[in-house]
Amino acid sequence: MNHTRTDNAGKELLDQIRAIEFMTVDLNLYLDTHPNDCRAMNEYNCYVRQLQALKREYEMQYGPLANFGNAMSTCPWRWIEEPWPWEEGI
Amino acid sequence: MWIYEKKLEYPVRIKNPNPKMAKYIITQYGGPDGELAASLRYLSQRYHMPIPEAKAVLNDIGTEE
Repeated sequence: MNHTRTDNAGKELLDQIRAIEFMTVDLNLYLDTHPNDCRAMNEYNCYVRQLQALKREYEMQYGPLANFGNAMSTCPWRWIEEPWPWEEGI
Repeated sequence: MWIYEKKLEYPVRIKNPNPKMAKYIITQYGGPDGELAASLRYLSQRYHMPIPEAKAVLNDIGTEE
């Protein structure tokens, strides 16, 4: 089983994913109460596009970030690969 | 339904383990006035909201927490 989740390139990719995801969470909450702000919504959509691309890139190399049909796996099933987030702060 | 994401929202790198601080943090997380309890309160409050904005914001804050 490879443990590539911890290499530096992977960590950097994850940091980018986190930064963009933070923007999508915050914009989403704002849009919930300001649904007619199209400028914010365009910004949201732009981050969604970036996030999808980055997650695809990460998952192809380092394995799925989400379970239950939200990401594909290669064989053997990569979801069980360690470390888990509570093990090495990933 | 919620999915699990195999990553943290923000990375945690513990340099010096501190059991006293760990106890405070775990209480903030799972204790009676912690995040977990708050998130479940948001998720039940959402059922009583009269407008779409309020339903959505309680659903999403409860989810995020």
